[in-house]
Amino acid sequence: MRLLMWWSGRALSSAATLLGVSVLIFAAVRLMPGGFAETVLGPFATAEQKAELAARYGLDQAVFLQYGHWLSAVAGGDFGVSMISRQPVGAELLARLPVTAELTVLAVLASVLAGVPLGVLTAVRARPEGGGAAGRLLSGLGVSVPEFVLGSLVVFVFSRYALGLKVGSWVPLTQDPAANLATMILPAAVLSVFSISVTARTTRDAVMGVLVEPYVTAAVGRGESPWFIVRHHILRNAATPVVTLIGTTTAYLLGGALIVEHVFNLPGVGSYIVQAVGRRDYAVVQAGVLLAAGVFIVMNVLIDLLVGMLDPRLGVMAGRRS
Amino acid sequence: MRRLDRLSIGGLVTLLVLVVFALGSLIGAGGDPDAIVGPRLQPPGSGWWLGTDNLGRPVLPRVMEGVGTTLLLSSVAVLVTAALSATFGIVAGYRGGYLNELVMRLVEVLYSFPAIVLAILVAAVLGPGQTAALASIVLVTIPLMTRLVRAAAVAVSQRDYVTSAVISGARLPRVLVRHVLPNVAGTIAVQGTYALSVGIAVEGGLSFLGFGVQPPQASLGVLIQQGGTYMIAAPWLILGPGVVLVAAILAINVVGDGLRDRLEPRETRTLT
Repeated sequence: MRLLMWWSGRALSSAATLLGVSVLIFAAVRLMPGGFAETVLGPFATAEQKAELAARYGLDQAVFLQYGHWLSAVAGGDFGVSMISRQPVGAELLARLPVTAELTVLAVLASVLAGVPLGVLTAVRARPEGGGAAGRLLSGLGVSVPEFVLGSLVVFVFSRYALGLKVGSWVPLTQDPAANLATMILPAAVLSVFSISVTARTTRDAVMGVLVEPYVTAAVGRGESPWFIVRHHILRNAATPVVTLIGTTTAYLLGGALIVEHVFNLPGVGSYIVQAVGRRDYAVVQAGVLLAAGVFIVMNVLIDLLVGMLDPRLGVMAGRRS
Repeated sequence: MRRLDRLSIGGLVTLLVLVVFALGSLIGAGGDPDAIVGPRLQPPGSGWWLGTDNLGRPVLPRVMEGVGTTLLLSSVAVLVTAALSATFGIVAGYRGGYLNELVMRLVEVLYSFPAIVLAILVAAVLGPGQTAALASIVLVTIPLMTRLVRAAAVAVSQRDYVTSAVISGARLPRVLVRHVLPNVAGTIAVQGTYALSVGIAVEGGLSFLGFGVQPPQASLGVLIQQGGTYMIAAPWLILGPGVVLVAAILAINVVGDGLRDRLEPRETRTLT
């Protein structure tokens, strides 16, 4: 019950944040250079044509009314129409979402499966005095290589030399899963380098924090084996920051996916947004950015629920504080 | 007071080299970035140490110019971030109440955007260019730093020396500047170095997508984007700026880690 109270508080505050995000995006799009009428009608439009267009799209109404209309349309799943292709933005986003989702899921999987064991291992092996410079340099390198540098290099190496994996010629997952995976492995690998390193670092810090707790000293004193101590005393107690990080990382990966899709020429949401900014297709930019922020906020609400389940103290704390 | 470890010193030295590199381009060391010195798309050799680009221009001076643009843009942006975050974070953390609520709400909204998505939105509003890159870095780095400065300020505000300063009749600005600011300065320094590395990555990414620094001005992102076109025939076009970009980010991160470990040393133990 306390968990539910705490969590619904968090969810409500996230809803407020989402509302703030929508205001910011709406305002940003109004501020963009080049009026809507000029963009659609071209430079030779008469004042009457502009007025007619403004009336048709509701641009002659008060700004907060426009915002209200936009918000209720978005809430109903209507993201508007692309100013270039005249196609519904929502349908296009939906068609492209699986690519971005697949890329992100693969990268998150890689960070959990590789990052967590790596972090635990380096924490348990750490020696109190100095050392570990090579490990620090390596994990530092992982967080320091931007996707566009690594991606460009990977595209070069795999296009130049026949190494088995192909760059480009993307196939839908539903059409040929094996061929699709073959084209997605490289982009996903490029995307996951950063998140694996961050996950490993955070896991390492969290585990090192738990290692100095008295109950670990007691377990060592009882003569329990290191592996037993890790499984029974450390993992769950170190889980909270790692699980929280995965939520934040997802947001990061959504941004990274945008660059990776651009570099590998994948038809995902990210490359759609990049194209749209280049073509000044504001309806698409508006919808794409809102989608990215929305996914991040929803993701964090889910992570909060998970963290609340992992650490029952959270709900109690919130109850006492307020 | 512990000294910085060897790795961090290596990072500092790398940074110093890059700054010298960038300053060198100002006095024309490395050659004229726009002069055509040899055949097009030549691999590294004498006369063009990092090869030539698609117009026969030497890559080395262009990389030097690019480092300068990237470092300058990111540093200025991070100084702006530090000033704003310190002000908002300290005031929000010390005063609390509705002001705190307002600042934290705004920060939360900014924090909901993936960095590069926020940068693209900024570039779409301001138009592609250096201003957009600068504003993007500030908006991307402000949320985390403000949060952490606020958290540090909340802790510092409850300390006895702050209470005693207030009781002694110190006015608000004096309390904030003389008693709170110096004690959150460590947080600002550590987060500032991390923000600098994020800033370099954001500038690179934005320019790489074509929405940041605009050619003919060189920045590391611009060079990598331009090199991409001829990548298969001339990989040195992205290797040179790519390696320098990674070295810059890595050096700054390593220095940040060193600073953090020095300010808050960690305990550790073994399991046997």
